[in-house]
Amino acid sequence: MGENTFLTVKDIYKSFGEGDSRQEVLRGMDFTVSKGEFCVLLGPSGSGKSTLLNIIGGIDQADDGYIAIAGDKLRDMDEKALTRYRRKHLGYVFQLYNLIPNLNVKENIEVGAYLSDKPLDIDDLLNTLGLWEHRYKLPNQLSGGQQQRTSIGRAIVKNPDILLCDEPTGALDYNTSKEILKLIEDVNQKYGNTVIMVTHNNAISDMADHTIKLRDGKVRKNIINENKISAVDLDW
Amino acid sequence: MAVNTNSSAGKALAQASLSRKKVGNPMRKRLFRELKKDWKKYIVLFLLMTFMIGLASGIDVANDSMMAAIDESFEKYSIENGHFELRDKASDELLSKFEGAGIAVYEQFYKDLTESKKAPNETASDDKEVTVRIFKIRNEVNRACLMKGEMPAKADEIAIDNNHAYVNDIKVGDTLYIGESAFTVSGLISSSDYTTLFKNNSDFMFNAVDFDIAVMTEEGWESLPSSVFYQYAFKYNEKPATTSEQKKKADELMEKLAVLSATGGLTDDKEAAEEMSVKVQNEDPETLKLLSEHENDVNELKDFVPEYANQAIHFAPDDMGSDKALIAVLVYVFIGVLAFIFAITTSNTITNESAVIGTLRATGYTRGEILRHYMLMPVIVTLLAAAAGNILGYTFFKDVAVSLYYNSYSLVKYETLWNMKAFIITTILPLILMMIINFIVIYRKLRLSPLRFLRKDLRTSKRKKAMRLPSWSFLKRFRLRILFDNMGGYIVLFVGIAFVMLMLAFSIGLPQTLDHYKSNLDENLLSNYQYILKGYKDEAGNVISTSEESAEKYSITSLETIDGAHVGEEISVYGYEEGSRYIKVDEPLNGNEIWVSSPYQKKFRLKKGDTITLKEKYEDKSYDFVVKGVYDYDGGLCIFLPQKNFNSIFGQDADAFTGFLAQNTISDIDYEQIYSVVTIEEIMSIATQLDHSMGGTMDMVSWVCLIMAVLMMYLLTKIIIEKNATSISMVKVLGYENREINSLYILLTSIVVVVSALLTCFLAILGLSLVFRLYMRSLNGWFDVYISPMGIIKMILILVVSYAIVACFDMIRIKKIPLADALKNVE
Repeated sequence: MGENTFLTVKDIYKSFGEGDSRQEVLRGMDFTVSKGEFCVLLGPSGSGKSTLLNIIGGIDQADDGYIAIAGDKLRDMDEKALTRYRRKHLGYVFQLYNLIPNLNVKENIEVGAYLSDKPLDIDDLLNTLGLWEHRYKLPNQLSGGQQQRTSIGRAIVKNPDILLCDEPTGALDYNTSKEILKLIEDVNQKYGNTVIMVTHNNAISDMADHTIKLRDGKVRKNIINENKISAVDLDW
Repeated sequence: MAVNTNSSAGKALAQASLSRKKVGNPMRKRLFRELKKDWKKYIVLFLLMTFMIGLASGIDVANDSMMAAIDESFEKYSIENGHFELRDKASDELLSKFEGAGIAVYEQFYKDLTESKKAPNETASDDKEVTVRIFKIRNEVNRACLMKGEMPAKADEIAIDNNHAYVNDIKVGDTLYIGESAFTVSGLISSSDYTTLFKNNSDFMFNAVDFDIAVMTEEGWESLPSSVFYQYAFKYNEKPATTSEQKKKADELMEKLAVLSATGGLTDDKEAAEEMSVKVQNEDPETLKLLSEHENDVNELKDFVPEYANQAIHFAPDDMGSDKALIAVLVYVFIGVLAFIFAITTSNTITNESAVIGTLRATGYTRGEILRHYMLMPVIVTLLAAAAGNILGYTFFKDVAVSLYYNSYSLVKYETLWNMKAFIITTILPLILMMIINFIVIYRKLRLSPLRFLRKDLRTSKRKKAMRLPSWSFLKRFRLRILFDNMGGYIVLFVGIAFVMLMLAFSIGLPQTLDHYKSNLDENLLSNYQYILKGYKDEAGNVISTSEESAEKYSITSLETIDGAHVGEEISVYGYEEGSRYIKVDEPLNGNEIWVSSPYQKKFRLKKGDTITLKEKYEDKSYDFVVKGVYDYDGGLCIFLPQKNFNSIFGQDADAFTGFLAQNTISDIDYEQIYSVVTIEEIMSIATQLDHSMGGTMDMVSWVCLIMAVLMMYLLTKIIIEKNATSISMVKVLGYENREINSLYILLTSIVVVVSALLTCFLAILGLSLVFRLYMRSLNGWFDVYISPMGIIKMILILVVSYAIVACFDMIRIKKIPLADALKNVE
């Protein structure tokens, strides 16, 4: 483990089902991520990337191996400690936004702010996210991109150490996807949060500090990107 | 491809500052919007809860305020510690002997007469006969509370019972005919020793319709043409503190009074009296001389009622206490049903919002925070309903309850009192019940991991594959799947229907039971009149006879039970003439063989061949009887035996009898010789009184049931349809017509409602029978619950009609579900 290692994924195994229907999803996953790194987990469907993200997020458990954040192993934490860990250190962004339908944009962001003792200033953040004009709209009055920006706002308002993004552009068009990626890049640069993003889009790995390619539940390539480009310049 | 991204984002983020402000929980902002969005559902829940809490609170407040007034009345109106009745007026000597037994004795002689609003020449033969018991104004004990008008000041004025006046629509200033004479009603009173109008303490039921209590001036009272009942009230010099001490003291006193009366005050010791009796039989001259010196003091104790056992004093508060208990149980059952409705609604919301909940949990929201959030709505609605219910309870419902009580009982004036206990029972406990039920259901739902919520996989059963169904038609299988999917909702629907059915069983069953009892009694009544004479011989020693053709001699006495369902219950013992027209026992009975009336057999579960032991009420003497048969007579708890056996068992002359059974009035016997007349009205008094007390209320309860059934089914079917909105939308997209969708969802619910109605109908009748049996065991007398087949059909119809109304709303609701729902909610 290097000096700057923040996240350690050590020999993770995970399977679902029993007997004949048993399926091994993760088969000995090993890698580390440094603090403040923008890390992309890249792989096709069924490669185990979302499962791995859930285990890192403490909402799923590995059958074997461990995850350590700043040296603290998640497997040693009970349910309360895990909740506390998520509350204090994690931000989550999902493909389908999962906003609360009867709260407006600002209130949805407040849902994240409520968890923090020192949240970011919500009005500033609304401006940052380009949602100021839409702050009183309900989710069903927003486009997909605006909804995803709101969900990012909800995740980052508490200024988490790690931002976990599960296919955040999976449901968006090309232009909107790039807007969202740029936003995440800006967040990473400004606050130094460690970003771990799951995607199946190869192009996104170009903007990452670190790309881990997965296939069949194993790390196939672990690439440190020396020549990363800005999200603005991505093309696919 | 280059795009125009939000290039200001980075700069803006760079400027974004940390806020020091702790943000309040924004989830609370959902509540008002949720209320606004689903206002119909919450209004219905609010109204139902407000109604129940208001009703319970009103009854509790009225009840406790009145109970406080009743408790206070013992001191305020100087209620007796008991009373007794003698055959003749007690001599001063005897009275002083009585007082030597540790009591103060007060005369409260009365006369029983007929009362009518019509003049004697206007009355029709089928007019019901009302008996009025008239006292002189009592100033020392059992003082009356003047409710309206003035106490009588002139000889032609009378103050009658407030409750009797209320139910018979008699007002101050009206003219009443007492016997043959007219009197003006000067006032309405509540007599503290007759808060419930029991004519006799042993009566099956009180009767405010046909029985009245009144007071008059001494002059007016003396002028009344009727025999006097020599009743005396007493108060202990030292009142026993507990009921058991009261009972012990009362038993001792009764024995002393009986012995003193029988011996003319010579002794109060039972054994000494028995010795004296032996000496009299042996014609001991000294004893005979002593007795002849006290001849004027000899009397007979005819009745003895200690205060604690006096139904006229205690029935109202006891009954009011049981009302409170019953209404509290109803509130809890009902709030329980509503709590489950709330819990199911919330459970469905959680299912719909599972991805959001998963996200919140993944972001660090604790299960407790989410649980509290979802519990907030039921708690808020219950609190609002409790506030509104309590306001209504102290105003509208209290007045309703008070008028119901004044309709049944003759209660003294009261003041509305703040009642902490009522508040806890009607508000805090329902709130806790609501919280517990919701907590359990929501907690179980939220127990799943955040990941399960994110995956919308909220199944709690371990079944992986769908249950295999028989190879029925597709639509049948589809319906069955809907049934399994919504099992929770349908179970609550079943429980709710059972609750409504139980109330319907009360509202329909009780009047039918009374009607059935009345018509049965009409059919198998012994005779229209039962005359009881003071003695079977007149002053000249001639046997009293009558020319009335329908008259037939009979004997009657009372004994009481010493064991079984109800200890101390009075049993009438009838002696009938051989070949009697009125008591038709079709087998010869010897010695102590008897037939028992059907209510006696049912209440005490007697069988042929059983031996029963009954005892004299005021003596230790007991008698064994062998049950040989059951006599189909609903008029009371009785036993029947031939007259000659009766006389031999009770040590009477061979030609002795008590009175006459007759179909018509007997007019050729002097009223001075008649002790009392029992009419059909008196035998039916229980039915008449219950009918009066509950008749109007039961109609109201039926309507309340209908409204409650509509509202409850509206809520539950709304929940089921909302839960299935996406599926309904999907089948619409697939091309199903509304008619076909109705046949899936509405038809299924209709089947569930009808099946539930059929099952719960019988459960409800069973429940009613059980409650009624328990109630009857505590009363004197017995009759069974009866609900006719038409009554059962009516119960089911009310429920089905209620559902038909709801189904119309459901069809509209299904029609309104947009096709887009299916597309929006599918990932």
